[in-house]
Amino acid sequence: MTRVPNPQNITQLLAEWREGKQSALDELYPLVYDELHRLARRYMSRERKGHTLQTTALINEAYVRLVGQKNVVWANRSHFFAISAQIMRRILIDHARRHAYAKRGGGAQQVSLDEAATVTPDQSGELIRLDEALKSLAEMDPRRSQVVELRYFGGLNNEEIAGVLNVSENTVTRDWNMARAWLYQQLTGSGAN
Amino acid sequence: MTPERWKQVSRIFNKAISLDGEERTAFVADECGVDQSLRSEVEKLIAAHSNASAEKFIGGMAAEAAAPLLLNDDDLEPSPKVLTEGQQVGTYYEILQALGAGGMGEVYLARDSRLGRTVALKVLTPEISRDERRMQRFRQEAKVASSLNQPNILTVFEFGEVDGLTFLATEFVDGETLRDHLRPKPLKLGEIIDIGIQVLAALDAAHEAHIVHRDMKPENVMIRHRDHVVKVLDFGLAKVAEKSPSKAEASEAATAFKTAPGTIVGTIKYLSPEQARGDEVDERTDIWSTGVMMYEMVAGAVPFSGATSSHTIVQILEKDPVPLSKLGNAPPELERIVEKAMVKNPEERYQTAKDMLIDLRSLKKRMDVEVEIQRTASHTTSIAANRTEEFDPRKKRVLLVALIGMAIVTAAIFGINMWRASRARSIASVAPPTASAPVSERTLTYWITVQKFRDKKPFQEPFTIPREMIFEEDYQIRLSFSSPQAGHLYILNEGPVATSAPEFNVVFPSSTANKGSSLIAAGQVMQIPEASWLKFDAQQGTEKLWLIFSEDVVPELESLKEFANPQTQGLITDPVRNKLVQDFLKADSETKASVEKGERITTLKSPGKLLVHAIKLEHH
Repeated sequence: MTRVPNPQNITQLLAEWREGKQSALDELYPLVYDELHRLARRYMSRERKGHTLQTTALINEAYVRLVGQKNVVWANRSHFFAISAQIMRRILIDHARRHAYAKRGGGAQQVSLDEAATVTPDQSGELIRLDEALKSLAEMDPRRSQVVELRYFGGLNNEEIAGVLNVSENTVTRDWNMARAWLYQQLTGSGAN
Repeated sequence: MTPERWKQVSRIFNKAISLDGEERTAFVADECGVDQSLRSEVEKLIAAHSNASAEKFIGGMAAEAAAPLLLNDDDLEPSPKVLTEGQQVGTYYEILQALGAGGMGEVYLARDSRLGRTVALKVLTPEISRDERRMQRFRQEAKVASSLNQPNILTVFEFGEVDGLTFLATEFVDGETLRDHLRPKPLKLGEIIDIGIQVLAALDAAHEAHIVHRDMKPENVMIRHRDHVVKVLDFGLAKVAEKSPSKAEASEAATAFKTAPGTIVGTIKYLSPEQARGDEVDERTDIWSTGVMMYEMVAGAVPFSGATSSHTIVQILEKDPVPLSKLGNAPPELERIVEKAMVKNPEERYQTAKDMLIDLRSLKKRMDVEVEIQRTASHTTSIAANRTEEFDPRKKRVLLVALIGMAIVTAAIFGINMWRASRARSIASVAPPTASAPVSERTLTYWITVQKFRDKKPFQEPFTIPREMIFEEDYQIRLSFSSPQAGHLYILNEGPVATSAPEFNVVFPSSTANKGSSLIAAGQVMQIPEASWLKFDAQQGTEKLWLIFSEDVVPELESLKEFANPQTQGLITDPVRNKLVQDFLKADSETKASVEKGERITTLKSPGKLLVHAIKLEHH
C-alpha cells in the first residue's frame, strides 16, 4: 500500500528506528533488501572470476544510493549497517534455499550444468543450517547472535560492531568466540545438545 | 540450555580460553566443582573453539563464501566463455569492456572498426548457440528485428558467427534498465506516462511489422542517461530464449514457465493470462505486459505477485489487481488506461498498441495543459485558498465561492494586474473542435480539475475529470469551460440547503473575472476560479452549478454582477432578484441540454440560442 519512500524518508526512517520505532524497520527492510540484492548481483556479474564480494563496500554503496549523497548522515550509518547485515543474511539464505530447492529437482530444468558447477553441493545446505543455528542462538542470547550476523553477514569488524551494539570491543571479541564455538558445535554435531 | 546455564557456561568459557594448558584445566575444574555436566559442556565448547579457529570456521564473510549463489537467478546465467578487454571478435569488433550478463549471454561494449562506433555485443551462451533449431529461429528473428527502425527500439546492427562465437551487435545505450531506474525512488507521474508512451511507440512499430515482443518487462526497457530516451530491447528474441524445443509453438511459453516453479520469479509477473495458460499469443500479450509495467511504475509494486510462481500464475489468471487509485497518485484516466491494458480477456483489452498510445498521449497533453494553468495561477493560489476560510465563518453556503473575493484581495495585496492574468487562454489541444456549429444550437464543453487534500495539505497532483464525481469534503476543484461559439456565460451556484427559497451565489462573471464581462470568445477557455480553487465546506449534499450560455446578453443575469463581492461571496441578497433568477432557471431548464460525456470533456448541446444546464456536485 505504501509507496517507495524518497531519500529523506529513508534518513527519517533510520532516525526513527534508532529511536526505537520498530515500524520504521518494517518500512526500511524491503527497500534495503532490493537495493542490496541488486547491487550484490551486479557486483557478482562483473566480478565473476574472482568471486570477491566486498560486503562493506556493497553496503556502503547501497547506503549512499538509498539516502542520496547529500543526505548521508554518518551517525545513521552504523544503524544502516546493522539492518544491512540482517538483510544480507536474508538475501543469501533466500538464494541458498532456492538453490537447494532446485537441487532437489524442483526446478531442475532451469539449472544448467554451468551453474551447478559454480556452487559446491554443500554450500547452500551449510548456509541454511548456519542460519537455523543462529536462530536458536538468538533465542538464548540475542546479542551474541547479532555479533555473528554483523560480522559474518554484514562484514563489519569488531570495532564497528562495538559501535553498533554500544558495547566494548572486548565484549564483542568474547561474544564472537563463544558464539562461534557454539555454532561450530551445532553444525559439526560435536556438541552435547 | 536454560539462559542461566548458558550464562554460566559462557562466563567460564570466556575466562578459560584466555588461559593455557594446566591453568585452564584447573580453572574449569575449580569453577564447575562437582557439576560434571557443566564441566563437560564447557570442555566441549572449548574444543569447538580450538577447531573453529583452526578451520577458520565462518572466518571470512558469508557473501564471499556464498557469492556464487547470487548468480543463480535466471537472468544471470554465467557463461563459461568470457571475453577479455582488447580481444578481437571477428575482423571488426574489439572488446572494450564487459557490461553484464543477460538471459541469452554476456554483453560487452565493443568498438566496430568499420564505422568507428561503439556497439553492444551480445555473445550467446554455447547452450543456445549449439542448438541448431533455436539458432535457425534466432537468425530469422534477428533479421526481422534488425529491420525495425524506430527510435525507441534498440537497433540491431548485425548477427554474426565467428570463431565459434555467436553474437548480436546492437546499438549501445548508455543508460539503465527500467528495473534499476524504478528501484531507488518513485517515478513522477509525467515520467511514467513518458516512458509508457515511448514503450508503446516501440510496440506500435514492431506490431506493424508483425513482431510480437512476448517478454516485455522492466529488464527489457532501457532509459538512456543523456536524454531519458527509452529503448526497448530484445524484440523477437523471447521466443528464442524459451527452452522447450520439441513442443509445438503454442504451448512453449506455458511449458517453459510452468515446469519451473520458484526458479523464474521476476519474469512471470509480466506474463499475460494467455501466456500463463499456454495459449497462442499475439500483439495483445505485449499490451498486457506494458500495462503491468505501468501499474508497477505507479504503484511501486507489480499487480500480481504470489509466494511461488504457481500462486502468481493463479493471480494473473483470476485476480483483479488492487485499483491504482488505492495505491498511488494515478489520475482516473491513467487508471482506466492501465486497467484496459490488463483486461484478462484479450478480446476486451486494448486491441492495438496504437489505441493505448493515443489515449496516453491525450492524457499527457491534458496534463501539460494542467501544469501550464497551474503555473500561471500558482502565485495566487495559496493565498487565495487560505483566505477562503476567513470569508466563510458561518459555513452557510456549501460551495464556497472563492473567486470573487479572492481575486480582489490578491490583486490588492500584490498589485497584480488581474485582467492581464485572466486573459483568455486558448488551448487548442483541449478546446473542442471548432467546426462551425449550426447557429440554432449552443454548445458548451466543460471539465473539472480536482485537487485532493489530506491533513489540510494538497495531496497528490491535481487531476482532471470530464464529469462529476463524489467529492470528499476537503477536495478543491476548478471548472473549465470552452465553446466553439462566442457567447455570454453566467454561472450561479445553488446550495443544497433546503429552505423555503433556494439561495444563489453569483460565480461568473464578477468584477474581476473575465474583466467583469460575461462575453467569452469562441475557443476561449475560462477557468473558474482563475487564480484559486473552489472549496466545499462541512455541509454535505449536492451542489448545483447552473450554467447559462446564451448567444445574447441575458438582462436578468447580467445585472447580478453587483452581488459579486467578497462580503457576501456573491450571494443574491435581494429576494426579488432571487425570485427572478428562480423563475428564469425554471423556465429555461425545461429545454434540456443534451449531455455527452467524453473521456476528457463533457459536451453540452442545446437547440436554440440559449443553453441552461446544472452540474451537480455531490460531496461527502
